[in-house]
This record gives sequence, C-alpha cells and structure tokens, in this order.
Amino acid sequence: MRKRSWILLLVLVLSAALTVPAQAQSSSIDCKGAAKGDTVSMLYQWSGQEEARLNQILKPLADACGLVFKPESTRDQALLDTRVQAGTPPDIAFWTLASAQRYQDKLFTMDSLGADKSAYPDFFVQNGTVNGKWLALPVKADIKTIIWYSPAVFKAKGYTVPKTWDELDALVEKMVANKDVPWSMGFESGDATGWTGSDFIQDILLVKQGPQYVNDIIAGKVPYNDKGVKEAYEIYGKWAKDPKYTVGGAQGTLSTAFLDAIYKPFMDPPQAMMVKQSGFAGGEIQKKFPDLKYGEDYDFFQVPGAKGLQGGADLMLSFSDKPAVKALVTYLASPAGAIAWAEAGFDESPNKAAVGHYKDPQLQKKAEILANTSGFTYDIGDTIPGGFGKAEWTAIVNYVNGKDLDTELAAVAKVQAEVLKPAAATMAATAAK
Amino acid sequence: MAATTAARQTRVRRVPEVPRIMKQGRIAPWLYLGPALIVMITFIVYPGFNTLYLSFRNIDGTNWATQACVAGEPCWGILENYRYALTSQIMLTAFLNNLKWIFIMVPGTVLGGLLIATLANRVRYEAFAKSIIFLPMAISFVGAGVIWKFVYDYGSGPNQIGLLNALVTSLGGQPVSWLTEPAINTVALIIVGVWMSTGFCMTILSAAIKNVPADLLEAASVDGANAWVSFWRITVPVILPTITVVTTTMVINVLKIFDIVYIMTGGNYGTEVIANRMYQEQYTSFNTGRAAAIAVVLIIIIIPAMYFNIRRFRAEEAMR
Repeated sequence: MRKRSWILLLVLVLSAALTVPAQAQSSSIDCKGAAKGDTVSMLYQWSGQEEARLNQILKPLADACGLVFKPESTRDQALLDTRVQAGTPPDIAFWTLASAQRYQDKLFTMDSLGADKSAYPDFFVQNGTVNGKWLALPVKADIKTIIWYSPAVFKAKGYTVPKTWDELDALVEKMVANKDVPWSMGFESGDATGWTGSDFIQDILLVKQGPQYVNDIIAGKVPYNDKGVKEAYEIYGKWAKDPKYTVGGAQGTLSTAFLDAIYKPFMDPPQAMMVKQSGFAGGEIQKKFPDLKYGEDYDFFQVPGAKGLQGGADLMLSFSDKPAVKALVTYLASPAGAIAWAEAGFDESPNKAAVGHYKDPQLQKKAEILANTSGFTYDIGDTIPGGFGKAEWTAIVNYVNGKDLDTELAAVAKVQAEVLKPAAATMAATAAK
Repeated sequence: MAATTAARQTRVRRVPEVPRIMKQGRIAPWLYLGPALIVMITFIVYPGFNTLYLSFRNIDGTNWATQACVAGEPCWGILENYRYALTSQIMLTAFLNNLKWIFIMVPGTVLGGLLIATLANRVRYEAFAKSIIFLPMAISFVGAGVIWKFVYDYGSGPNQIGLLNALVTSLGGQPVSWLTEPAINTVALIIVGVWMSTGFCMTILSAAIKNVPADLLEAASVDGANAWVSFWRITVPVILPTITVVTTTMVINVLKIFDIVYIMTGGNYGTEVIANRMYQEQYTSFNTGRAAAIAVVLIIIIIPAMYFNIRRFRAEEAMR
C-alpha cells in the first residue's frame, strides 16, 4: 500500500514534469483568431544582435499562428512622430513612455488586447498607466542603479564592495587618500549629452529620498529645484567636478564620451576604480576587452542604500487591435513569452515568470536585484514630456561646467511646471467628463 | 453699319491663321506656370503658412498657445511661443552666438577667399592651390564636424588623440577641452565653418577677378600704380557687386548654421544657435509650437539678407 502510493506519486510528478513544459511550448500560444499570413508591422530602435534576439523570441508565435512580422528598425527618434502625424502609425511600436502619454488617445489598452496585469509587478503596470488606461506593456527592462568595478583590482588594493551609502562615501574617500581616482564619468553623447549625469543624480535621489520622491518629481508634486534635488546635485558635483574624484575633473566629465568612461576602470593600469552605468555596460566591457572575465575582472553591485531602482524599459505600444496584434500582446505577456525572452537573453523581462530562466549569470544577477526591489522609477527626463529631459541635461552640463546651481535648477523647474501644467489640466478635464 | 464693323472685326481676327492652341490666351501662361506653381504651393507656400499657424498653437497644435501660459509668469497670450523664441535665456544665447558666427565667419570666409583668389591669380600652380582650398567643400558639413571633433578631442586620460591637443602637449602645454570651454568653443566651431566655406567664396571671387578688364589694370600700371594700389582702386571696386552677393549669401548660410553645432556639441556648453534650437524643440522636446515660432523668427531675420542678395544679384546680371 505504502509502496504503491509512492509509485503513484512518482508517476504523477514525472508526468507533470514532462507535460507542463510541453504545454507551455505549444498549447499556451493563443492565436486570438489571427489567420495564417496576417501581418503585424512593428517599429523599434533595435538592430543587429538585438533584432536577432527579438526574432528568436517571436519565432514560436510566428510558427504557431503563421503571423508575418514586418519590422522596421530605426535610430531616428522622430520617425514614430512623423508616422503618427501622417496617419500611418505601425501596428506596434516598441518605444518610450513619453510616447504613450503623447498618443494616449490613439493607443489601445493592454488589457483589451489580452495582457494580464498580474503577470507584472505593480510598479511596472502603474508606470505604464496613463490617465487610468494601461497603454504600455513593459517588454524589456534594464536597470541603471548599479556600479561597475573590477573585483580583481578591488582585491589587490584592499577595497571592499560597500553595503550602505556611508560605506560608499568612506570607500571613495579612502581611494582618494590612496591616490586612486574613484570615479570614471563621461557625459559626451551627441545631442543627448548629459544623460549619464542625470542617471547618477536620480540614483542619489533614490538613496537620499526614495522612489516616491522621484515619482513626485515626475508628477510635478515636487519642484525640480527642491532642496532634496539640490542636495543630490551637490553630492554629485563634488565628485564630478574634481580631478581627485573623477578622471580629468569637470572638463574630463564633460568631454569624455560615455562609452570611453565605461572602459577606464578596466584598462591596464586602471584609470579609475568605478563607473556608474546601466546594465548594458557589461556588454560594452566584454566587447572592448574580450579577455576579461565577468565575475573576476568586471562585475557590478547595486548602488548601496538605494530604496528602489532606476531603470529603463522598452514599452510596447499598440496602434491597432486586430487579431494578429492581440495574439502578439497575449503571447509576450504570457509565461511562454516571458521565458522565451529570458532565454534569448535580451536584457531583463519585467514579467514575473521570467526569473530563473536566464542563461547569462549577469542577467540572472540583475533579475534578482529587480525581483527584490521595492520600487522602480523610470528616468525622470524620459518620462516628463515636452523638453524636460533636454532641460535637465542642459542643467547638469552647465552645473558641471561651472554655472550657478540655483539658477540652473530654477530653469529646469520652470520647464517642469510648464509641461506638467497642461497635463494636469487635461486630467482634470477628463475627470470632469 | 454696326453689323459690317462686326463682320470686319471678325475677318481681321481671322487673318493670321495661327492654330488656336498656339495662341496665348488667358489660360496658356498658367499652363506653363502650373507645374512650378503646384510644386511651390505644395512644398513652400502651404508649409510656410502652416508653420506660421502652428507658431500660434500650443505644444502639439491642439489648442492656442495661450494655453501654455503659467499663472504668475509673464504671458504673451497667443504669441506665447514668440515670448520663448525672443526672450528665453537659451534663445538669447543662440542669438548672441549667431551674431558671433556672422561677425567671425562671414569676414573670415569672404576676406580669406578674396586673399587666396588674388594670390592664386599670380602663381603658376593656381589650379592646384585653389583645389586644395576648395577640397573641404566636397565634404559634407556632418563629415567635417566629425573630422574636426577628432581634431579638437580632449582626452581625460594620459593620451591625447586629438591633433590639436597632441600639438599643445608636445610643446609642453596643458591639454585644453576645446569644445566645452565656453570662452573658446564657439570660436572653435566657427573655425570649422571657415575651413568649410572659404573655398566657395574663393571660387566665385576668383572668377570675378579674372573678369576685371585687363586694359584697366594695364592703364593703371602705365600710370604707375603698384599691385597694392591697383588692387584696392581697380579690382575691388570692379568686383564689389560680386563681393556683396558672396557676403549676403554667407550671411544667410551662417544664420541657418546647424550641422556643425549639432554634430560637435549638440548646442551644449553655451554653443547653441537658432537652427539647432529649432531642431531640438521639434525633435527632442516635441514642442511644435515653439519650433514653429523659432522657424518664423529665423525666416524674418533672413528675409532682409535675402532681399538684398536678390537685388544685388539682379543688378549684377543687368551689368553684363
């Protein structure tokens, strides 16, 4: 009796183990009535390897439903705008949150297309919701609140990874005392120059103030020249303007290309000890120094003391509700789609089902940080529309270049008030209806 | 009586037996003009008026610009976008920089072109010398911007890969961050513009110099004028209309300057110019109203130069 029940249990477990993945592979793809040969036009800014990974993720859906994807890749930020103005938007755009706000009346909600809110952490759904409508499905995320360093160099010089902000501060001072340059910073990035600075400052805000404060800035409840923001700029400026703390001091920060800044801590001999940069830096380090090994020669740690993460997410926006689009949305929001995303290694999938399915240890480490965070904020500058991002970069560039901080922050706060005022007005108007 | 007059008139009209289609009635000229007019209206007139209209509208053209006013701040009502285009700090910087561009680049290219054209006129390897100066014209502004970005490169590490900083450090100096120092960066950009456009001025001025009647110059030298005097008293007055046209053309080009600034600094570090601001408002900030207002302001600034240019050009044509 006992023995037989054991066997029964074993058979049950085995069969479950064998059938569940099989089901996930085939029957979980719902074509939503899309016919073979239906097309979905897509617009995104990925290319090369990124595009190959997307194709790998979409292949099971294409095979199961016979959908034909018509992708278009561009580096031109303005293209989506041109298309929408011309009345010929793509069915799907993998784009930014600012576009979701801009085209809120033209987009279809993700719930209506078959995505399930519960598959994502609340903060992702909240961030993608415009005026009560969930318009932006987060498909790919990368986290910015991390610092890259060389474990080998740290070990040789007797430095340890800090656990709190005060430890980080102490570590920086210790490096300066040892005549090591702690930071590598670089702003230069064409007409987006300054974004690495605004990223760093947002991380400091997450440490000193927390995610709610950052979201209040985005909502316009906290003016950009609030004392918390000023404090973050001053902490940053102390490092970014001084050649003892960063390579080349203020002029080094301003004129170094952001990619070159990523390389400096990993050169031989290292020109700096740490660089704060998003998750993509790992790939850049590997490309530049193929001999370096992840985990030994380069690694990252979360910005210590941050009460939430800053990150970027590529969002899927839908200008169409035809069956083929529904099938695509449903698939990407389903566990099968999330697992395919994780296995393809196309950064992080915000979908809860993806954790544990990454093959790349870097992605797995980031996925764990992402899974354990209590809050997630988008880049302030990317989220507030209408020139705020540009104003923010201008302020950080001017501040590092020696201009008066109060004046610069007041200028950004002015733009913030200008662009968020009409949004608040439309919100009130829709509420009145 | 009346009938016969009418009959005669009909006969008179019939006399030259020209096929009707070749007669120039009221419609025929419009047929000839038609294609050009359609193109002009579609691509110049309509967008022009639409831009003017959008400049009075809000950020995305859905309401009047008045909507952008913030309580407690100055407001120009429907002209709110023009308040930004004419009084905001960044636009004032842009105006100042465009002035710098005009006052350095225009004399730099015109005088430089004139000097080279005159000197080259007197040497045997003229064609070669002029080709060298003209060569940068064959490069796009974007290409030139990228090339000069390397020339001006500032390395925060031990190695200077920028040509200029390599020179400076080899002479024992400290490397300079040419493109981020507000005191020098606009001038550094203008030098690129001069490098690009001197060839253009030189070619046109050189053609004009060659057209100066030889007998005039001979007569002058018979009268004992040296090269210096005959240049200032004869060559320059004769080619003055050309100099004016070249100068006004350069003024227009410089007012519209965009590529060099966009590529090399993105308008940062105090190097903003009007055209770059217009692009940033439209495509980085997606603020159609402001971009349109800046475009209108730019057109209004350019119109006098254009009017002057066309008038001088006509005068020059009439002289031939």
